Amino acid sequence: MSQNSEPIIKIRNIHKRFHTLRGTVHALNNVTLDVMPGEVVVVVGPSGSGKSTMLRCINRLETIDGGSIVVDGIPLTGARNINKVRAEVGMVFQSFNLFPDRSALGNIMLAQRVVRKRRRAEAEAKAHDLLVKVGIPEKADAYPGQLSGGQQQRVAIARALAMDPKIMLFDEPTSALDPEMIKEVLDVMMALAKEGMTMIVVSHEMGFARAAADRAVFMDMGQIVEEDVPDVLFSNPSHERTKLFLSKIL
Amino acid sequence: MPDESSRTDPVQPASVLPPEHSGEGIPEPSAYERTIGWLASLPWWAIILGVVAVAVLYSMLTSVAYQRVIRFLTDDPQSSTTDLFSVVQIVGEPQSIIGRYVGETEDSVQTVIYNLLDDVIDHHLVTQTGFIESESPAAITVRTLDNQLITIPKDRIETEERTEDRDGVRITLTYIDRVTVTGIMTDRDDDTMTIRTVNEETTTFSTDRILSRESTVIPCDRDANPGCEDREVVTIERQGEIITGTLNTLSQTNMSLALPGGDTREIRQSDVDYFHVPTLTIAINQDRADRSVAPGDEVRIAFVEGTDITAALEELNSLEDIPVPLQYADGEARAALVSYPDIDAALEATGTGEVSGLVYLASDEDRLAVAGWMDENPDSGVILPTPPRECQRGCEVTVKLVDETISGAVLEETDDEITVQTVAPEFVVLDRDSILENRRMEPGVCALNNLRGCNAGIFLTLRVTFIAYALALLIGLIIGLMRVQHNPFLYAFSTLYVEVIRGIPLLVILLYAGFVVSPWLRDNTPISLSDEWEAIIGLAFGYGAFIAEIFRAGIQSISRGQMEAARSLGMSYPQAMRYVILPQAVRVVLPPLGNDFIAMLKDSALISVLALPDLLQLGRLYVSRTFRAFEGYNTVAILYLLMTLFLSMLVRIIERRSRLPG
Repeated sequence: MSQNSEPIIKIRNIHKRFHTLRGTVHALNNVTLDVMPGEVVVVVGPSGSGKSTMLRCINRLETIDGGSIVVDGIPLTGARNINKVRAEVGMVFQSFNLFPDRSALGNIMLAQRVVRKRRRAEAEAKAHDLLVKVGIPEKADAYPGQLSGGQQQRVAIARALAMDPKIMLFDEPTSALDPEMIKEVLDVMMALAKEGMTMIVVSHEMGFARAAADRAVFMDMGQIVEEDVPDVLFSNPSHERTKLFLSKIL
Repeated sequence: MPDESSRTDPVQPASVLPPEHSGEGIPEPSAYERTIGWLASLPWWAIILGVVAVAVLYSMLTSVAYQRVIRFLTDDPQSSTTDLFSVVQIVGEPQSIIGRYVGETEDSVQTVIYNLLDDVIDHHLVTQTGFIESESPAAITVRTLDNQLITIPKDRIETEERTEDRDGVRITLTYIDRVTVTGIMTDRDDDTMTIRTVNEETTTFSTDRILSRESTVIPCDRDANPGCEDREVVTIERQGEIITGTLNTLSQTNMSLALPGGDTREIRQSDVDYFHVPTLTIAINQDRADRSVAPGDEVRIAFVEGTDITAALEELNSLEDIPVPLQYADGEARAALVSYPDIDAALEATGTGEVSGLVYLASDEDRLAVAGWMDENPDSGVILPTPPRECQRGCEVTVKLVDETISGAVLEETDDEITVQTVAPEFVVLDRDSILENRRMEPGVCALNNLRGCNAGIFLTLRVTFIAYALALLIGLIIGLMRVQHNPFLYAFSTLYVEVIRGIPLLVILLYAGFVVSPWLRDNTPISLSDEWEAIIGLAFGYGAFIAEIFRAGIQSISRGQMEAARSLGMSYPQAMRYVILPQAVRVVLPPLGNDFIAMLKDSALISVLALPDLLQLGRLYVSRTFRAFEGYNTVAILYLLMTLFLSMLVRIIERRSRLPG
C-alpha cells in the first residue's frame, strides 16, 4: 500500500468518440476521476454508458480524443511509455482472453519472461505462488479449454498479477460466468482488495461493491452522474437516473 | 419399394417367419458384406494406397517396361559411386602434384608427373625476360625488366635462352606457371584431393573370339608388397562380333537392328566387316504371266523347305507391282503354299505349271543358284519378272563387325570369358593448399552416397518443391503480416502483390521468371540465375500470394481479445505477434498450408517449360523416345500420387499433433 496522498490515476476531462457508419457516438463526455493508491472503485451503469471505454482508456487499449490521463505520474499522451504503463496496470477481461495454446502456468509465465525478462525458474515459482493464491494450484498444467469459466478467470487474474501491477482493472469479470462460479472469482478479488491493491472494477455485483469498495461511481451517457460510498449510492442515490437504473437491477 | 417383398428382412418378428426359420435370429453377414464392412472401416488413404499398391505391383510384375521407366524417371541412382564431382582445378605448383599411375609401367613418380603435365593436364606457359640474380641446381632467380624478383624451379623450365650483356646475364625463360587438372574427383580429405584424370576402360568378351594373343608377364615386386600377384599384359587380335537381329533401318552410314531381347543396336557401316541382307527372288510360270487371278481361285506358291516363307510373302505384298498370277491378296483368292526339298525342284514345279510361282528370301549364293538353273534350262517356262529387291526392313540379318586389336592388362579370365583393361585409370593427388582456383566443381554421378549428383526426375521435383515452398512460406508470412497492418504503404504494397500475382496463371509467372526477370538480372546485375533457381523463384512468388492470404486469414481469425490481453500485459506489438498471435494462427493455417504444399508439388510439373528435367519432363522424354505413352505417363502419375499421398498423411499427423487439449 502506498502512503502517497497523490492520486495514482488522474483522469481529467477526457472525451472519446467512436465513428461508425451510423454516425458519431460520444462514448466518453468530459469524464474526470481520481483514484487514490489502495482505493477500490466500483463503476456501475447501463450498457453503453462508457464504463468499459473508460477502463480501456486507462491502459490505452483505446486512445482518447481530449483531456488527459496520468497513471502513476506518467501521462498517457505519447506512445513511448505505453508498454511501461501497461505492465504496471493489470487488466482482467469479461471474456478472460487466456492464450488457448498455453497451459495455465504458461499463460502466467509468458509476459513475465517476455516483458519482465525473468528467468524460467523465477517465473515458474511466481506462477505457482499465484495459482495457490487464486486457489487452483492443481490446474497448473491444464489448458484453458480444460478449465471452467471461473477457473479461467482466476488464471487470468493470476496472469495480470504476475506482472506485479500497481493497479488492477476489472472489466465485468463475472458477467460471462455461471452464478455458482461468480463467488470463487469475487473471493479472489475480495482478498486482493483487502491486501490494498488499487482496483477499478466495472461490475454490477452489489454485494462485492458494498463489502470491498471504497467508492462507487455511476456512469450514464458517457458521463459520471454521481459518485459516493457504495452504501449511500446504492441505497440512497441522489439522481433520478441512478434511482431508475438501480431499481432495474436490484 | 417394389422389390421389398423379395428381400428377407433380418429383423422380422419370429412369429411371422415360417416354422423352419423360427429359431433363427439375425443371419450371419455374407462374406461380401463382411468385406465391404471391413473396407468401410479403413481410413480413406489406406484404400487408395491399397489400390495403387496392387496396380503398381501388378504392373511391375508383368512388365519390365515399368522398371525401365522408373529407373529413367528417378535419374537411375547407383547404390554407391566414387565419381563424386567433376572438377577443374588450377594448381600453381606442379611439385605439389603427387602422381599415382596405375598401369603396366613402373615409372618413377617424377616421370609420371612429367607425363601428366605433358599429356593429361593442360599447362599454362609464361615467358619472362630478365637478368639472372642467382642460380642454384634446383632453382633460378631472375630480376625481370619491370624490376621484380621471381624464383622458378628448374624442372618447370621448358626453354631458356641466355645472352651476355654488359649489365649481366640476360635470360629469356619459358616455364610452366600453372596447370589445369580436369577430371573426376573420387576422394578428398582435409589435406588432399584425388582426381581421376583418365577413366578406366575395360572390355569383356568370349575367349572364342581370340584370333591371336601375345602376352608378357610383369612380375610384381614381392619385397615391397608381399601379397601381390603378377600382372599379365596382352595384345589380342579379336574377331569382330557377329550380331543377328531384325533390320530396322538401313542407310549409307548406319544400320539399326532390333535384337531378340527387345533392345535395339545402332551400328556404323564403317565398323561392319560384312553383312548379309536377304533378297526377294520371284519366279513365275511363263504361261500364267498374263492370266489374272479371279475371286475364289487357289494360287499355288512354291517355297523351299527351311526358308522363311512368312517374311517372303510380307515382302512380296509390300511390292508396288506384284506379278499378276501372284496377286492373291487383292482378288480374294486363297494362297496355297507348296513346299519343295530344294530350289531346283521348286523351279521345275514352276516350269510345269504345278505352281503359279516361287517366292524366296534368298542369300546371295541362292540367287546365283537360281540364275544358274535358268541358264541351264532356257526353255523351262520360268521367268523372273522383277529384278531382285534387297530387303529394307523387317528381315533377319546377320552382321559381322571388323576384327580389331586390343591391348592391356588382363583383369579376369575364365575358360569362356576374358576381361581386358584397355585403358588404365590415372589419378592425380593434389595438395589442397596448392589449388589456386576452383575453376569448376559439378556434382558427379547420381548415387545414394552422392545425392547431390541426382539432378533429374523425382529428385529435381522434390528439391525444387521443398526449396520453393520454404521461400513461399517466408514471402507469405511477411506479406501476410503486412496485410494486417494499419500502415497504408505496407497494406497497399502487400495488397497489390497479392492481387497481381493471384490474377496471373502460374505458368505465366514461371515464364516471366525464366525469360524476363532472369535475363534482365543477367544483363543488368552480377546475379546469374540457374534454370533451377528461376523455377524456384517463379514457384515461390506465385505461391507466396496464396500463402500470404492464408496467413492473413489465420491472423485475423484470432480474436482481438488475444491481442488486447497481450498488449495489456505490457507486450509490444511485435512481441504479441510473435508469442501470442502467430503460434495460434499457425495452428489454424496448418491444414491449408499443407494443401498448398501438395498443390505446389503438383504444380511443379509446370517447371518443365523452363527446360528443366523434372519428373514430367523426363516422362515426356521417355514417351517420345520409346512411344510407350501408357507406361510412361502411368508411372509419372503414380509417382506424383505416391508423393502426394505420403505428404497428406504427413500433414494429417502434424495436424493431429498440433491439436489443443480440451
